[in-house]
Amino acid sequence: MGENSTILQIKNLSKHFGALKAVDEVSFEVKKGEIVGLIGPNGAGKTTLTNLVNGTYPKTEGKVLFKDLDISNLKPYQIARIGLTRTYQVVKPLTGMTVEENVLVGSLFGRENRDSEMKNASKRAREIIKLVGLESKKDSLVSDITLPDLKKMEFARVLAMEPEVIFLDEVMAGLNPIEVEEASILVKEVRQEKDLSIVYIEHIMKAVMGISDRIVVLHHGRKIVEGTPQEVVNDPAVVEAYLGKRYAKGIKEVNNEG
Amino acid sequence: MPNSKKANIFLLVIAVVLFIFLPRFLSGYWVRVITTIFMYAVIAQGMNIMSGYMGYLPFGNAMFFGIGAYVTAIGMSKGLPFLLVVPLAAITAILFSILLGLPVLRLRGHYFAIATIGMSGAILSVVQNATEITGGAMGTTLPIIDKAPGVVYNYFYLAMLALMVITTLSLHFIIKSKFGFGIRSIKANEDAANSMGINTTYHKVIAWAISALFTSIAGALYAYWMSFIGPDEVFDVMIAVNTIVIMLIGGAGSILGPIIGAFIIELFAEVAWSAFLEYHLAVLGIIIIIIVIFVPKGVTGTIGDFVKRRKLRVGKKVSI
Amino acid sequence: MLVNAILLGGLYALMGIGFSLQWGISGIINLSYGAMVILGSYISLEFFNFFHIDPFISMIISGAILFIIGAIIYRGLLQPFLKGGIVFTLILTFAVRLIVENIILKVWSADYRTIRLAYAGSNFQLGDVYIPLTKFLTFIAAGILIYLTYLFMMNTKTGKGIQAVALDKEGAQAVGMDVEKMYMINFALGTALAGLTGSLWASIYAFSPHLLGPIVGKVFIIAILGGLGNIWGAAAGGLLLGFAETAGAAFLGSQWQEAIGMVIMVSVLLWRPYGLMGKKFFG
Repeated sequence: MGENSTILQIKNLSKHFGALKAVDEVSFEVKKGEIVGLIGPNGAGKTTLTNLVNGTYPKTEGKVLFKDLDISNLKPYQIARIGLTRTYQVVKPLTGMTVEENVLVGSLFGRENRDSEMKNASKRAREIIKLVGLESKKDSLVSDITLPDLKKMEFARVLAMEPEVIFLDEVMAGLNPIEVEEASILVKEVRQEKDLSIVYIEHIMKAVMGISDRIVVLHHGRKIVEGTPQEVVNDPAVVEAYLGKRYAKGIKEVNNEG
Repeated sequence: MPNSKKANIFLLVIAVVLFIFLPRFLSGYWVRVITTIFMYAVIAQGMNIMSGYMGYLPFGNAMFFGIGAYVTAIGMSKGLPFLLVVPLAAITAILFSILLGLPVLRLRGHYFAIATIGMSGAILSVVQNATEITGGAMGTTLPIIDKAPGVVYNYFYLAMLALMVITTLSLHFIIKSKFGFGIRSIKANEDAANSMGINTTYHKVIAWAISALFTSIAGALYAYWMSFIGPDEVFDVMIAVNTIVIMLIGGAGSILGPIIGAFIIELFAEVAWSAFLEYHLAVLGIIIIIIVIFVPKGVTGTIGDFVKRRKLRVGKKVSI
Repeated sequence: MLVNAILLGGLYALMGIGFSLQWGISGIINLSYGAMVILGSYISLEFFNFFHIDPFISMIISGAILFIIGAIIYRGLLQPFLKGGIVFTLILTFAVRLIVENIILKVWSADYRTIRLAYAGSNFQLGDVYIPLTKFLTFIAAGILIYLTYLFMMNTKTGKGIQAVALDKEGAQAVGMDVEKMYMINFALGTALAGLTGSLWASIYAFSPHLLGPIVGKVFIIAILGGLGNIWGAAAGGLLLGFAETAGAAFLGSQWQEAIGMVIMVSVLLWRPYGLMGKKFFG
């Protein structure tokens, strides 16, 4: 599959909180069908960037183009309806509702110009729930399920919106290594099936390396490196940005595997 | 599950039919009391959609009651028939809800709750002072129906009953719809709702318009029923307070909660007011506190919890 | 007229700050605030009638009493239910208002009361403007109290603690601060300010339970204008409201007073959703 068209362009995006430059002139592109890893130490600006792109924060500077459409000034719900979605680092389930209802909301309200009739939206929701493996929990209240299941639910919810681009914000946070592995597999499977482009935000190196086509590295709000996993891993600036030894060990592991 | 659903519908239909024939067995006084209960149930449903389902408490919602009452009074004083004035009253209230709602609903819950009190107070002021149009602080009269009092009471009883049934059914279908999910998502997590493609401002404004619709028609009926209304009476903040207590005790966020709550509160009021006349404010305050502490989910919520716990227990028994 | 506007504004400023602090820092919209204010008035009334103590002095007592009442209400009633969300705190504070209102009605009746001070009628001259003495004194008193509140917030350990908790609750907890105590003191401070305002109000104007509702309406507007939790913002808001009401009464007639406050609030909200002075006073 070789569609190399660019689906998302982030141009010179900046967000200043007073004197603090949380995001500082970041630019990169996402091509259709790609998984772009977005990494950086805590506080690098990854989540802020996500909030900027999806319209939650107003931009200090810069533009975002989605399929050549300037979405820089759209509201979050409008951006969601066009096909650009995100998950939350700290999950935001719709409390008081069941898993199925949560996913149903995504199915009803996600991308515009779809059949949002209740019956069909419900069907869509149930299919996605099956896809992520939450069928046994679909009638449970979100307050009653475990964190990994909450993450799966949020993923399912976003998938039910039938987006073209998903910003997965630290989906792995709080999961143990087995769960991380399962989640990686799920993401890869889903990407294949649904022809999505994903911006994969993480700071668990192993997960990102194995899954991304390209990687963008942020540090103190600026983009310091962009390239393939191999290029990024060996880049001295990147090594410097992270805590030395532990990361260097991570590089060795990846190098030995790849 | 479909069996219990059919059973529920059957029971409700029976209840409605019973209510229709109830006036034959009651004195005029009690017919009026129950009419008031129906009316409060409607007003409570109006608040229910906003507060119970969407999580935005319109403390000053009584303003729509007053608007409904006054538009009806003014319209009928110009000779317009009641059935024509009611839609006018509803439309006026809806327009107010949209005009006032757009600036305030863009923000979050805090502002909205009391902003509505201020609005209610301001509208009350205007009505009190625009004496030529509204009769000012002294109130205004409506045409009296030329029939025996007993017959009139029954008419309004049935009208309020019908309004309550229609309102409740409408709310039931609205909540089940896509729009209803939008509303509930706002209460659940407004940030997430926005990011999922829900136009929250639109949902909030429309929800308030629906609330205004229900409440204003109740006000219109009230005005015609009483034949005389005054500004302090129809814009009384106590209407909203009673409504909130009704929702609390009935259980917010449920379809039947407001109806149950209205019955409990009004019947209690009938019994207790004579005993506590000088202290009724304090008693009301204490009741509110007791409800909040002991029965925060109201009757329907607590019953719902009880049913769920029983289901869990039964489930455990079966699996062992 | 300008003079009257400013003097009224000063009193409103003091009144608004208490409410704004409670709302901004604890997230509690205190519907019993109006009751607290006039309770202060009635306390001063009693001290004046029985002990012939001037309200400017008895205000200290009413402030103290209201502080204690606020602490009790917060600790006993509000703190356990904060997690219930705004609906519960609204309803609970309303219940408190009902109870206090009933007590006031029972003890003092619904009649308007006044405190007749010996020096009430005198004016003094500043340029060619006549300034009523008592109003002037209340303005000064209000100003001093506002400044003291500011100093308290900025310079005392407790005050800084309250600020810290408002900025970052978890951070404050992490450094071992008794967060709940901070919230309680803040709330009690708010009711104390209400009581103080009531005493000052009593020295000039008549008061009765009828004022209960409108006061809440006014402080709500003031808090929004100034930004929640913002002391100087609330002060500015109070002055603005005082000015708007006086001007409105003079030019449009007193019936439009309430509506004016409402119009101003909605306009400001449309233009600047966080109030005239933005978020909290330190951030």
